[in-house]
Amino acid sequence: MKHIILMIMIMTVASYSVEEQNIKPTLNNKIKQVIQILKNPSLTMKQKENKSIKILDPIFSYQTMAKISLGKKWKTLSKEEKIAFTRAFEHKMKHSYIDKLKLYKNQKVITETPRKVKQNRITLTTKIIGNNETYKIINSFFKNKRTNQWYIYDIKLAGVSIIQTYRKQFAAFLKTKSFRQLLKSL
Amino acid sequence: MKYVFTLVLLLGLQGCAIPNTLHIPYLHSETQVSKKEQTCVICEDDTSEFDDEFGEEETNLYDPLEAYNEIMTSFNDTLFTYILNPISQKYAYVIPEFMRIGISNALHNLQFPIRFTNNVLQAKFHNASEETVRFLVNSTIGIGGLFDPANTQLHLYPHKEDFGQTLGYYGVGSGFHVVLPVLGASNLRDIVGLTVDGYLSPLIYDKRLIKYKIPQNYTQSFGIYGWDAINKNSLHLGAYENLKKDAIELYPFLRDIYEQKRTSDIEE
Repeated sequence: MKHIILMIMIMTVASYSVEEQNIKPTLNNKIKQVIQILKNPSLTMKQKENKSIKILDPIFSYQTMAKISLGKKWKTLSKEEKIAFTRAFEHKMKHSYIDKLKLYKNQKVITETPRKVKQNRITLTTKIIGNNETYKIINSFFKNKRTNQWYIYDIKLAGVSIIQTYRKQFAAFLKTKSFRQLLKSL
Repeated sequence: MKYVFTLVLLLGLQGCAIPNTLHIPYLHSETQVSKKEQTCVICEDDTSEFDDEFGEEETNLYDPLEAYNEIMTSFNDTLFTYILNPISQKYAYVIPEFMRIGISNALHNLQFPIRFTNNVLQAKFHNASEETVRFLVNSTIGIGGLFDPANTQLHLYPHKEDFGQTLGYYGVGSGFHVVLPVLGASNLRDIVGLTVDGYLSPLIYDKRLIKYKIPQNYTQSFGIYGWDAINKNSLHLGAYENLKKDAIELYPFLRDIYEQKRTSDIEE
């Protein structure tokens, strides 16, 4: 039974995530779908949020993001704490992402060619072209060793890394306060 | 304020109001820690390979003005929330967006000397020449910079460089962080930068350079910058509030994104 579950899980992982050559088309396709959803006047804001998140979810590795953002502290946590933290962090990230999506106002989005920075790292830049400004977003992907699939582990908005910002904030927070308090504040 | 705004502009997309409470039902259910990765919580994936990229999380940051900076951050935050933002909202209601974009373009165009000089100082001659073409085209065909045909027709994009970036380009460190009243996040290097750029900017009054400067006294100078701030914010309503939601504590958050942003600007 255990093996069957494991197999199903591995299969789900494989069907959800992205292979190297598909990174750009996959992301492009997802962006296109999300834009269509955001532009659809018949959907309520909440429907738009849920649908967009469902489309984008599979390419994000919240697990990895949570680990990196917590740094050394991660290793000192119990299994339950890790699960609780990952869940809270995932919630926070989605919340934040949804908020950013709400600022979308018919800008044009273009995706550049992916850049392989390392054997297991790829960055893909998207540009959001507005009426009088252009914003650059760098999506960083890593390759999961076990599945050979690629996931996003960080997003840089105009040169500012979201995960780095959390990492700094969590470290500063944990200097004076406890992990429990951090969990609560998320 | 300039940098707070730049950050807000850059980090947010474009403005609309955001409700405070968001209910995302599935996030609260037990079963939904990404199904795809549930197996991973149990196995011990090593993230130390990311350490090179993200560095030590506890950098012992030298922040001698921390206490003052914190107070000034809340002061600026209050000023923004209760004065600048309500004014910008009313302003946006009265003035149509295309006019506000035009004003923003024109003020940007007038700051050409800062961008040109700093591109040259960093030996970015190609960018400096593109800036020059942009300035000439937009000042004439673009009617005093109200329109940006250089961008829309010639696909020449602005190359923002300031003296703080020039100093950084030549290896000058940022120095400690300073939050300026009204202007917002800065550091020692960028304060020197702002001062030098102030001489280059035709919009900041200086008695000795009166022929070059547009404002004829400090009040006019202040007025132009205030207008610029309101106008810019009116084009990005909601962005700052949106950004702020990612903060656990406001001051360290704004300090960190400011420094990251500046480092990235200098590297580009």
